[in-house]
Amino acid sequence: MRFDLKVALRYLTANRLQSALLIGGVAVAVTVFTFNAALINGLAEFQIDRVVGSSAHVTIEPARIRPALAPAADGTSRLVVSQVALQRREQIKQWRTVEQIIDTIPGVTGVSYNILGTGLLSRGEQTLPITFKGVEPARLGAIAPIDQNIVEGEARLGINDVLIGRKLAEDLGLRIGQPVLITTDQGRTRTLTVRALYATGVDSLDARLAFVNLDSARVMFDLPEGLTEIEIKLADIYAARDVARQLADSTGLEATAWMDKNQRLREALEGQGSSGNIIKMFTLITIVVGVASALLLTTFRRRPEIGIMRSFGISQRFVLSVFMLQGALIGIIGSIVGCFLGWSFSTLLSNIGAASGRRLPVDPALGQYDIALLLAAAASIAAALWPARAASRIDPVEAISQ
Amino acid sequence: MSPVSDLTLLEVRDIRKVFVDEDFQTPVLKGVNFSLQRGEMVAMLGPSGSGKSTLLSILGTLMRPTSGSLRMLGKELTALAERELSDFRNQQIGFIFQYHHLLPDFTALENVMFPHAGRLWRETRAGRERAAMLLERVGLSERMNYRATRLSGGQKQRVAIARALMNQPALVLADEPTGNLDRENADQAFALMQEIQRETGTTFLLSTHDRELAERCERRIVIRGGIVVDGAEPTASRTESSNGLRMIDGEVTAVIDHTHLSSTSNDRRRA
Repeated sequence: MRFDLKVALRYLTANRLQSALLIGGVAVAVTVFTFNAALINGLAEFQIDRVVGSSAHVTIEPARIRPALAPAADGTSRLVVSQVALQRREQIKQWRTVEQIIDTIPGVTGVSYNILGTGLLSRGEQTLPITFKGVEPARLGAIAPIDQNIVEGEARLGINDVLIGRKLAEDLGLRIGQPVLITTDQGRTRTLTVRALYATGVDSLDARLAFVNLDSARVMFDLPEGLTEIEIKLADIYAARDVARQLADSTGLEATAWMDKNQRLREALEGQGSSGNIIKMFTLITIVVGVASALLLTTFRRRPEIGIMRSFGISQRFVLSVFMLQGALIGIIGSIVGCFLGWSFSTLLSNIGAASGRRLPVDPALGQYDIALLLAAAASIAAALWPARAASRIDPVEAISQ
Repeated sequence: MSPVSDLTLLEVRDIRKVFVDEDFQTPVLKGVNFSLQRGEMVAMLGPSGSGKSTLLSILGTLMRPTSGSLRMLGKELTALAERELSDFRNQQIGFIFQYHHLLPDFTALENVMFPHAGRLWRETRAGRERAAMLLERVGLSERMNYRATRLSGGQKQRVAIARALMNQPALVLADEPTGNLDRENADQAFALMQEIQRETGTTFLLSTHDRELAERCERRIVIRGGIVVDGAEPTASRTESSNGLRMIDGEVTAVIDHTHLSSTSNDRRRA
């Protein structure tokens, strides 16, 4: 064993209570750090899961029609006001080509080719404005797991069928098998039969949306060939931006990743993330202050001994190393204990949540233990630097005569 | 080279030390001159405040003089940098203090080994064996693995003597080494140092208030008011002297010292 390490260990074991308190302090800070990470990241995953689980990761929409402009002369600029074309419907006409492109992208787990439109859904005197989503029957669950969330009826989407959320059914007093009258914004009317009710837990799906067969949507919204959107699900949700960019470049259509569609979610996650970072920063500051002050005290108490060592020619570097090693040992042992405690605590809470049926959004796997270990050890070593330098610079004559 | 200069270990020339505290200057050493020969056991006497401790700190390279020259083993120590001084101190100078100053969290053996292991940054078998041998020499082989705090005052001082000898220094500086011991322990410790000095040829410089012990040394340097007033050069006991007994004593010692020194320096070269 290196002799400086032996001396550092001897000093730590010589004052067990102080060392235990120090290691305990670092451990508590690391526990807070890792539990905080498990909570914030778990919460973020939970929120993302709720949003992303029932919506597309990348959405392809028709390109905005922009008026063609002649280039301006050099050095001049001009302002142009243009009106959105009202006569032409925005649609994806060449979607078969897009389909081929999507087939070449790795990591795509689901695709849905949709026609979205608005209309009124009436039963008797009651009428509600809602969004209709025309999908291929086979791809009903490709984006939101509608087929797995049927609470009544069967997940079949025939040409005359409509699937609605349970909330919407309650609002209109609808039941399975009942006919409803639909009037689209294109002025067409059609009578469909309620085939199934679903409940996803997402309000926008359960109360304001109805699924119809893609072929009936073509008629209802007067789109014999085109689509209004293509939705894609990915295995890696964080690849969405790259995939969106790739698709936009290769198709000329608008492709948007989920994080850009859900600005509020993004802001919420960023807010949570930065408040979590502030907590983490404070835990690190606690470590630095705690370790530095305790080691400084040790340095002061051991002044005569350090003076003696220096008197028989022990180098300043050796003394420095002894104190740095003490900081490092405290940091490493403390953060290992802290990681274990943080993991245990978040596992416990997550299990309690699972047992009581209300799952707490704590994910023990997301505790950032490696980062905690690294930062806590680095903080302890940094904290030891000042006391160690002070120790190495002790004047032996002064210290011995103390 | 003349035999006299060959025997010279330390030469102190016009050493001055002035402590400066804000605007107040306190001259403590006012031009100290003396020399030590290899294998001598010399007492340094003087009243409190005469500058003995300051001089010992300077001779031990723990403190730099304000001016003057300090030559040891042919090296001008005042010209060395901090790191070189630390190395030199480690290998050529041993310290024994009034209050033993053992490291309380280490065993007797570890305390003795410390100067060696600290230099190499690791413990070696050779170091351990030498430390054990030294502890045996000072009569503490049974207390080797006792923590320093569990030893009596006399035992601690003997461990301190062993520690001072660990790296086979040429010079051992002892600052009131028996000042904190009772008569019996003081006599024992002194006798031990004297025996070791004779066996190994290590030069000892002891600062002491104890006249009786000082009388048992070969020479007495008396320092008063920051200068050496008596015993600066080893003329009386080492060369011609009116005291026949002492002269024989001194010559015999010198012969033993010389052969021993040459054999140890051969050992070192071989190592």
